[in-house]
Amino acid sequence: MPASSRRQPRNVPRLTRRGAGLVVIGAVLAGVSLWFDLRDVLLLAFVAIAMPLVGLGYAMLRLPRLAVTRTFAPATVAAGGSTRVRLTVQNRSRRPFDGARWRDEVPSPLLAPGEEVLPGIGSWERALPSGDDTVRLDYLLRTPRRGAYPIGPLQLSLGDPFGLAVMRRAVGGERELLVTPRVTAIDGAIARSAAVDGARHGLQRRTNPNSDELIAREYRYGDPLRRVNWAATARRGELMVREEEQRGDPEARLFLDTAPRGRTDEAHRGDAPDFEFELAVEAAASLGVHLLDRGYRLRVDPLDDGAPGRGEYREPGGGAALLLDDLARLPTPGQWRRRERAGGGSAANGAGRLTATRERRAPMPGFAVLVRPADERLAELAALRATFAPAVAIVLPSVAERWIETLEHADWRIIRIRRAAELATVFTARPTTVGAGAAREARWDEFLAGERDAP
Amino acid sequence: MRRDRAPLSRLQALALSGATFLLLVIAVMALGPLLAGSGWWWLCTAVAAAVLFGGAGLRAIRLPASLVPLGELLILLATLTLFFGGSSSLLLLVPTADTFGVFGELLGGAQRTIQQQSVPAVVVPSLAFGLALGTGLLAVLADLLVLTFRLPALAAAPALVPILVPGFLIEDGAEVGTLVLTAAAFLLLLRVDVRVRRRAALAHHDDEVLITAPRRTPVASSVLPTIGLAAAGLVAASLLTASTPSVSTSLLLGSGGQGALFARGVSPFLDLGRDLRRPDAVPAFSYVARDGDRPYFRLLTIDRFDGEVWAPSDRRIDGDNAVDEFPTPTGLGDAVARTQHPIDITVQQLRTTWLPLPYPVSSVEGLDGSWFWDRGPLTVRSADSDTSGQQYRATMLEIDPTAEQLRAAGSRIPESIQEFTELPEETPAPIAELAAELGASADTAYDRAVAIQEYLRGPDFRYSVEAPVEESYDGGGLDVVAEFLKQREGYCVQFASTMAVLARELGIPSRISVGYTAGTPTTTRVENVAVVQVDSQDLHAWPELYFQGVGWVPFEPTPGRGTVPDYSRPGASETAPVPERAPGTPPPTPGARPDLDPERQLASGGSAGATSDPVVWPLVTLGLVVVLLLPAGVRSWVRRVRFRRVRRDDRGADAAWREAMGTASDLGSAAGTAALTPREAADVLLDELGGLDDAGRRALYALRDAVERARYGPPGTEAPVSEAALVELVTALRRRATPVTRVRARLLPVSLLDTARAGRRSAARA
Repeated sequence: MPASSRRQPRNVPRLTRRGAGLVVIGAVLAGVSLWFDLRDVLLLAFVAIAMPLVGLGYAMLRLPRLAVTRTFAPATVAAGGSTRVRLTVQNRSRRPFDGARWRDEVPSPLLAPGEEVLPGIGSWERALPSGDDTVRLDYLLRTPRRGAYPIGPLQLSLGDPFGLAVMRRAVGGERELLVTPRVTAIDGAIARSAAVDGARHGLQRRTNPNSDELIAREYRYGDPLRRVNWAATARRGELMVREEEQRGDPEARLFLDTAPRGRTDEAHRGDAPDFEFELAVEAAASLGVHLLDRGYRLRVDPLDDGAPGRGEYREPGGGAALLLDDLARLPTPGQWRRRERAGGGSAANGAGRLTATRERRAPMPGFAVLVRPADERLAELAALRATFAPAVAIVLPSVAERWIETLEHADWRIIRIRRAAELATVFTARPTTVGAGAAREARWDEFLAGERDAP
Repeated sequence: MRRDRAPLSRLQALALSGATFLLLVIAVMALGPLLAGSGWWWLCTAVAAAVLFGGAGLRAIRLPASLVPLGELLILLATLTLFFGGSSSLLLLVPTADTFGVFGELLGGAQRTIQQQSVPAVVVPSLAFGLALGTGLLAVLADLLVLTFRLPALAAAPALVPILVPGFLIEDGAEVGTLVLTAAAFLLLLRVDVRVRRRAALAHHDDEVLITAPRRTPVASSVLPTIGLAAAGLVAASLLTASTPSVSTSLLLGSGGQGALFARGVSPFLDLGRDLRRPDAVPAFSYVARDGDRPYFRLLTIDRFDGEVWAPSDRRIDGDNAVDEFPTPTGLGDAVARTQHPIDITVQQLRTTWLPLPYPVSSVEGLDGSWFWDRGPLTVRSADSDTSGQQYRATMLEIDPTAEQLRAAGSRIPESIQEFTELPEETPAPIAELAAELGASADTAYDRAVAIQEYLRGPDFRYSVEAPVEESYDGGGLDVVAEFLKQREGYCVQFASTMAVLARELGIPSRISVGYTAGTPTTTRVENVAVVQVDSQDLHAWPELYFQGVGWVPFEPTPGRGTVPDYSRPGASETAPVPERAPGTPPPTPGARPDLDPERQLASGGSAGATSDPVVWPLVTLGLVVVLLLPAGVRSWVRRVRFRRVRRDDRGADAAWREAMGTASDLGSAAGTAALTPREAADVLLDELGGLDDAGRRALYALRDAVERARYGPPGTEAPVSEAALVELVTALRRRATPVTRVRARLLPVSLLDTARAGRRSAARA
């Protein structure tokens, strides 16, 4: 959201409907009284004209001195959910503060309640705080779309005591609310893991069979007894536990089409949400969280070099949270392209190529989420097939059929999704079919689990 | 402003009712200067309290908002019955048919008393009834605006009614104190409303919002700004008022201290005419003249003429001109015979700052207050009191000029009198021609004046108080004079101003005096002298002409009124003074005035009522019919607008669907009223009606599809809707309804409410 369109300066006091009506009545009355020379009514006419103007001046001169703190519960929220915003408004003036309405400033896709009455607040209690100088406001903020949104400042409508004029003033600062993409829990293991309190033997053996995993070290307080290496203990005469080596961390790669080509239909341009792209982000988030949960180190790459969305995540160490954070901040294609044009940079245009990881090692799981990929990127992706096992492409309906074929020919497994909810089930076993079909499905499961090569 | 209409608690509604009551009661106080005593105010207060707090009670028992005004009207009726119904009511509160008869009489009486009574009026029961009824109706209206529509700012409208009234009746209008109090009460109402609104909104806020207010809320904090702002506004308004020049003073007469009699009229003439047209005479004053004098009593002299309006010269009161000694009248020479006669005058119901006196006088004694004479016309007025209840003795200077003396005056005019011959530049042709014709018939100024008087008293001219008003040439301006010379019907105002204008046209200085004719002797006697009674029917205006050596001399051009001075009779050219009321003079000498006076005849009160009734009732009926037909008219206008939109295809599908649904809800179907989608509405409609005929069903589907396409389809794909389908559907719907329903749908179209509601919603959204 560009800041300019979201926040209009409203530092001009204006008359309410009542005030404007009163001025009109007063003007008519003044005309009548002058015409008929009714001096007495002239007084009332001028009262009707003067009161709204006086109110206007009063509303303009009111300068609230309020301290506003804003917290979110929960602090980050998934798209489609809601969070409670807690506002604490403390009067920092020696005079009580009354006669205002409040509304929190919220950028456009978020939904906050409308203007409400702000109760009167007592004067600032420096010495013996009893809480009478503080109002707590708490409202439900609905977050339909992912993104990083500034919430605030608190908009106050300050009126005069007679409700004739009103002045909008912003109080306090703003605070960023992170709306992460929705994560769909994926049933079934995409890649098998043995995530039992930190020990990842099986996994390691399978992904990196040459490594020497067993190095014993002395027991430290807190090590589970199960990890006691009895053989080494017997040899050394003191408690020894197994220590695995970090070198062989399992890694997975995820390619995300973060800068899909422009859409062909001209009607949907500008800031209108790109639903396919959002779906892709959701799919990436779901996959990433799933993989991180399974103990994988995850490397996310944009399909186009230079496009946003590069990062490496590991768990433990807050990898899932970081991933969601990064994905939440991922600019929409429209924003990114605009930013690119403004920056004059064109780094994205074919400068880099998709490459495999640092060194050629055993194949790792590779995933690609495709929205509207560029042709050459797809060709490169197809070429990378050999480094991945399994190699799964999650394909949205917007990908042309011929590119899907290209990938299929390169032996990528294609998973088509139309809705985020489908993610939950596409990886689980299909309904068992008889004969060769059933056998293929079983093999597919094993393949997904990384236990065998491509079927 | 979304949740402004949060429901109020009983206490909040009561606070609003109380503030409204205060506003209304204080506004009614503005009638104070018009009415005597204060009992009427307590009555109005009681009625307003009964209506407003009764309404609050009805709301407290959760009566539907639409029924509360009706309930208040019933409360008003019961209150009026309690106060005025007397024995005709059941249990003092329930009115019977007789009670309504009593009310009708009281209303008629109130109308009469408003016409007759001068300010301050004595509050007779009928007037009290009118006040109570008016206050009650205003209270119902105010309650409707404040509590039903929740637009307290508009409560100013009913409060303004009693405030505007005094402005039209008396010079000063309502008292400043009352006005300021009313404004303060209005602001209090606004303040109470703001607080009540906030409280109600706080109590009924959005479910998703949780507001934790401090335990102790500052109440006093807003009092100071409230008072300060109100004071600032009132002071600013007062300053503005004080500094605004009165734009219309120059046009109107009402700058000087004429007091209550000629309160604020456009011209004293018109007030004079109004007083003359009053059905019942109000006694003005009586006098006792030992020497049998029957003089005219002059209140004021108007001598400035701008072509439109005759106005008195603006003179300051001079403190040296005490009334115990008067100067010699202007231009009076020593040769003219003069005698002094005392006259004792007792003022009854005349309230003005001008003193009724014969002209000229040499001294006045026995007055209360400070009275001074004006230098030019020698009229007497007061600086600090008025005529009511005065009893005084005037020493009248009776001058008796002869025709020779007047004739000898010639046409020499001193400089100081020159201004009384001024006329506006362009005199209408008929006046100039007539003046030339009359001027040619005589040689001297005096003879010309007599010729004018004779011409106006001639058989062609008729006295009529009503004619100038009906033909709308009332007043004394030049065009009025021209019109009067054509119509030849009018009363003293027209006659006097015509003579004055003609005299000025011929170069004779002239002015008009306004006052009373000599009055009617009564059978009462004081020291064996008859008391003469002068009442409002004796109000009169007459011209005075100036002759060098004699001074200002009155003439009497009005036929049938007053007495013609001896010197101005056509036969007065002989040396011997003609005895008073000589027989054989051409114009009728109205010695026995009372029964001959034309205005006496039209003065009978019954005739006025008889003429007004046949006019009023048809008008009332017509108004009622118009009001009853108003919804039907609005509905048919809406229908026409929608058909036009269908024809022009200006969002035609929408208009056609609205019209169809409007017709349905007019006919009592739920399809149009609820917030349904077109498809649901169409289904409901078919359900309710149990199936339309084929054509109607086809039309319904066609309209439904069109509106769905227009509302929900991508832009640019709307299909035009055919007017024929709409007509087909509407007639099909009508055909299925009973005739009673059809008539009700015509006269009370329910769909108007929906339209209004939708309009308000969209306005609120905007």
